Amino acid sequence: SSNEHKLNFKKSKEACLSYIQDALLQKQWKRAAEFLTCYVESLEKDYSREHIGPSEIIWRIGTEILWHHSQSCMKEFNCFMEQMKTLGVKRYLKVCLEHIFHLLCNGQIDEAYQNLSLAESWRFGEQTAIQDKEMKLIQAYRGLLDYYSWSKQKNILLENGEDGFSDLAVEQEMHGYFRKAAVNLKEIIKIPGVWDIFVKCYVDLLEFYGDHNEARQVLNEYAYNSKFPANPNAHVYLYQFLKRQGESKKSLISALKILHDIVPSHELMIDFNTMLQKSKKRKKRRLGLEVIFTGLDYAGWKENAKAWSCLARQVKQIVISEKHLDWIKHEWNSRKDWWPAFHFSRYLAKRNWQENKSLSYEKALVAGILLGKDCKYFKYVSHQGCKAQLKRFRMLKKFMNRHSLVYLRISG
Amino acid sequence: PPREEGSPAPVAGWGEHGQVLEGSPGRRQVQPAFVPSRGAAGERWEAADAAAVPVLLPSAGCWFPSPTPQDIVYRSRACRKLRAGKSGATLDFAKQLGHFFVDHPEDAFGSLGRLLHKNFYLGNSKLKVTVSRNSTIRMTTLMEDIDRLEGRRGCPRQHLASRLRWFSHLCRDWLFEVPLGLLADCLHEELMQQWSSLLFDDSLTGGALAWLPLEDGGTPVGRLVHPGGQAMNHLYFQDVVLEELPRARGSPQQFELSGRVRQVAAARVDGQDFVGVRSDYHCGVWRVPGKTGAAPTPLQVIRTDMPASCLTVSPHLPGELSVCTQSGTIYLWSVETGLQQLRHDPQTMFFRDYSPWRWSDFTAHPRVLSCADRTGLQCLDARAPKRCHFDLFKVGEEAGCQQGERVVLPMYLGRAHPSQYLVTTQFSVYVLDERLPLVPVLKWAHMMKAPPLFAHLMPGKPGRNHKVLLGASRTQELLLLQYRVSFWGVSSGGSQSACQLAGTPQELHSIAGCLQHLPTQLPHRHHLLQQRLTAPAAGLAATLQEDGLHKSMLVFQLSEAGDVFCQRLTHKAAQPPAPPPRDEATTAPGSSPLFEAPDSSPQGLGTAALRYRHWLRAFSRACREPPRHTWLPSLSQRRLFTQRDLKGPAGPSSLQRQMRQRLRQTMQEGGRIQRWEPLALQPPPLPQTLEPAEGPDPLSTRLTAAWAGDWEQWWEERTSFSVAQRQRALRERRRRQKRAKGRRSLSASFTSSLTYQSELSELSDVGPQMLSPSRPPALSQEGSSPAGSPPRRSLWTSPAPEEALLSSQSLRCRGIPKERRKTLRDYLSVWAEGPPEPPEPLGSQASQLCIPSSQSQLSSA
Repeated sequence: SSNEHKLNFKKSKEACLSYIQDALLQKQWKRAAEFLTCYVESLEKDYSREHIGPSEIIWRIGTEILWHHSQSCMKEFNCFMEQMKTLGVKRYLKVCLEHIFHLLCNGQIDEAYQNLSLAESWRFGEQTAIQDKEMKLIQAYRGLLDYYSWSKQKNILLENGEDGFSDLAVEQEMHGYFRKAAVNLKEIIKIPGVWDIFVKCYVDLLEFYGDHNEARQVLNEYAYNSKFPANPNAHVYLYQFLKRQGESKKSLISALKILHDIVPSHELMIDFNTMLQKSKKRKKRRLGLEVIFTGLDYAGWKENAKAWSCLARQVKQIVISEKHLDWIKHEWNSRKDWWPAFHFSRYLAKRNWQENKSLSYEKALVAGILLGKDCKYFKYVSHQGCKAQLKRFRMLKKFMNRHSLVYLRISG
Repeated sequence: PPREEGSPAPVAGWGEHGQVLEGSPGRRQVQPAFVPSRGAAGERWEAADAAAVPVLLPSAGCWFPSPTPQDIVYRSRACRKLRAGKSGATLDFAKQLGHFFVDHPEDAFGSLGRLLHKNFYLGNSKLKVTVSRNSTIRMTTLMEDIDRLEGRRGCPRQHLASRLRWFSHLCRDWLFEVPLGLLADCLHEELMQQWSSLLFDDSLTGGALAWLPLEDGGTPVGRLVHPGGQAMNHLYFQDVVLEELPRARGSPQQFELSGRVRQVAAARVDGQDFVGVRSDYHCGVWRVPGKTGAAPTPLQVIRTDMPASCLTVSPHLPGELSVCTQSGTIYLWSVETGLQQLRHDPQTMFFRDYSPWRWSDFTAHPRVLSCADRTGLQCLDARAPKRCHFDLFKVGEEAGCQQGERVVLPMYLGRAHPSQYLVTTQFSVYVLDERLPLVPVLKWAHMMKAPPLFAHLMPGKPGRNHKVLLGASRTQELLLLQYRVSFWGVSSGGSQSACQLAGTPQELHSIAGCLQHLPTQLPHRHHLLQQRLTAPAAGLAATLQEDGLHKSMLVFQLSEAGDVFCQRLTHKAAQPPAPPPRDEATTAPGSSPLFEAPDSSPQGLGTAALRYRHWLRAFSRACREPPRHTWLPSLSQRRLFTQRDLKGPAGPSSLQRQMRQRLRQTMQEGGRIQRWEPLALQPPPLPQTLEPAEGPDPLSTRLTAAWAGDWEQWWEERTSFSVAQRQRALRERRRRQKRAKGRRSLSASFTSSLTYQSELSELSDVGPQMLSPSRPPALSQEGSSPAGSPPRRSLWTSPAPEEALLSSQSLRCRGIPKERRKTLRDYLSVWAEGPPEPPEPLGSQASQLCIPSSQSQLSSA
């Protein structure tokens, strides 16, 4: 009966798909391709109401095979993609985007641009929310490519400008690219999301044309709009923009303070610490100490010699001046139960000494101040240092002897 | 379990770049460069063998396979719907309750027995005259009554076994009611739990296998930590040498634990390994020095009231672990300072989900722990867990989750990147960065058939790919992924990393995959082997090994049966135009390169094949042991039956002897035996039918008559004939019935009276109604005379000299009292006269033969 036939057909379809899947997972591209040619038949009777229909399956598997098959070429791939675009209306934009991505990754920027323009002009009835977003993405990528063209023209102009020669046509063209890029880039960054690359390009355009207010507004929106994900890059871009604008230390510090609250382990925190340490205000110097202590809480900073030297310098200063020992005490209080095991174990002393002598020097200084000269880390490192007859380690030992009782005041 | 509403699409992970990342940064560059977030070139790893190879020999003990859907569901058809989640699978409650009664009578009825203990006396001796005597029943008597009931089958006066009637009347209302309701509830609950754990068993999350690399001069050595034993409640630390195939060295360090090991977690801090072991109600931690020969030291054990669902070991601080229980509590456990409760919330975090599963792991900050349930992940600061927390991952729009998607396993990827996290769901795998929470830096649909419960990270050197292995339990799937952290962002200092999936995912051998390569087995052996090898996976571990130019990866997989299998993958240096790999043609199902002789091996077989030989031999030896689970109930029968009851007849009975002789004879003659009656019994005539047997069937005769035209006459004949025939038949049958009844009641009373004799005195307190009126009182008195009464079976075995038997002379010499001789003679004459009634009376004869009590008493009296 026809029902039975349908069932059998479904079964063999499923079996065929599972063979393809096995072949793909074992990287047997030729075998997968052979099975796929059989699977194409399933398109004929596509009654399925499943999540992913045969046409999407063919698109996905076919693409994967063409990516990896040893005998596939770009021409074939393009041809396949064009066919796939016609297979499903709902998927048209997605397939277009993927095609464009592939062209981009293969360096075929011009072809990608053509495809973007084509896809942008595509219209088919009402658009779903997803299609709407895909269309926005297509426009944004076109804007991005326009930006690259603009950038290219700009470089030509700048080079020529050095020669004292300007080309009006090139300039015109450049402004044209700017307009096209700006319109599209502006649109995408209105939608909540992570758009680092688009934001950067847009801000670059705006800055070139001197629209600093718009640029500042865009960056502020990107960093502070609560609808957007808490993206540390947004704050970094804002900070870099402010720095370029030559803003006051105060506004730079406040931008970094927010970054510190979001990501205390960010690389910029060392800059932040340096900036704060230079400050005349006591409050800021105290914040600086807190920033560097917090950074060193993170496993990623464990062997960050720069951070350790920042901490060592500041702690040493405080000890010598004998002022604000309570700052250290406050920071140390919440760490004294786990920092010794986390940073100052004998095992780490050995390893740090073997791998990075200056790191072990800075750490030994901090350990000596915080835990006293009898702590394992300091003892091991200073012993090794003196044995190796290194001058700074001998100085370190002397320094610790002079301030041997500081640790009691800190931990007491 | 995570509900599987939209079943995982089998191809959702293929053919998609997802997005492009900015490649080599730099504004100066004329041509912009892009790299795909998926589809970049990956390292080539190829399996060295055709299948996974056993590392350890199977343990000697028997293995209990875990239940299959067929065990607890009505129809096997339902198991196809297993993945449909809420399918209408009907649990086979009645079968399971029946099994329970048989397998655990002590549990099913024990409590009742204890309740009734006072009123039932199980001893063999007489009841002493005590206060309790009136309220106590002697079980021996009751049992004998029940036995006797069998002998009385068909007896019209059967209901007169009043002691039983009395007993059942008293007990009928409550005997089954008391435990059954309670038991049924418990059993039903257990069945539901078993079923849901069959659909998805999250107690195994994390896996129970760990690999601890050791430092030992030149040879690469490591230590496998795995559970074993029949109940998987032994923990083994086994040293393993990594040669061509890993080989166990020495005997393992063994610890017996008080529960099934669910998870083994390990982390290395300051050159020492800390191994956390989780069973349902206990968690323990061991310290293992990173040198060979150093023995593991158990450090501490904690007990939980609710089953623990997670145990992870801190990669930052020695002796710190995090524990979660199913009540929604998360603890930071330090060996030095004890437990610190961080959170207690039976509700899930982001939306309502009924699963009590919780998970916790460490993050880049040693004081900040992640905690997870099925709906997402949060990070808590242990110093102020109530105030300081942030959401790391949420099942929802930000991560682009599907409907019904649930978190299956989170894992801290600290060894690859200090701020990255892996989260797997039943559909996808995500890499998250705690600096950019909620938005995954990598997402990929993994297309696995079962949710990945195990994951293992092998960090690559800077600039190289990190490798992640995902493992599923039920389907034993193993998937190898490669990813790399690429920097998206321009200027130094402002880089936010994004991830790139490198290469295509690669499926590795599962344990069951070796079945097709093994030599052909006998069907039942094959079945056992299949059962063993397809047991759900229970853990996953791997290690990278590098000697000179050769890099290889060893992947260990543990099954629920306690088997550890291993496979080696070798790294192939990237050759830009990849030559056609050998896998295209060779590994078709059915071929077995495993057992083919490789050219290089002088012994003829590869190491893998030899390893299999050993394993198979040990496995079949373990199988041959008598299955221990069919233990006999340890109830003593001696208290219920007398010594004489238990003593069976010595040697073959004369009937048996006779039968054997007949069989031998017939075989010599080459004839055949139609019926198994003793020779003395004439083969009974076939039961007469009411229709005449001769001629064709009535329909055809009638049709023939009708065709011939004399149908009327035929009818006349038939009616008259059949009436006469029927009358005759009825008369005959009544006569037979009468005869049978007389004989049967006689024989029944005969046996029963004989069994009564030994205990008649004890019955005196029961009351006069117990004495059956059908039983002649004379017999009861005479029966106790010890004058060697002949074995009853002699009636059957030597019936030939009937006259001799029936003569009063012979009866007397057999010790039959005078009063009974007539009855007996009547009885025997009836017996000798007509053929016994087929077939029902034959059955009753047989049952008489089988009554042990009357037989043995007769023979020994």
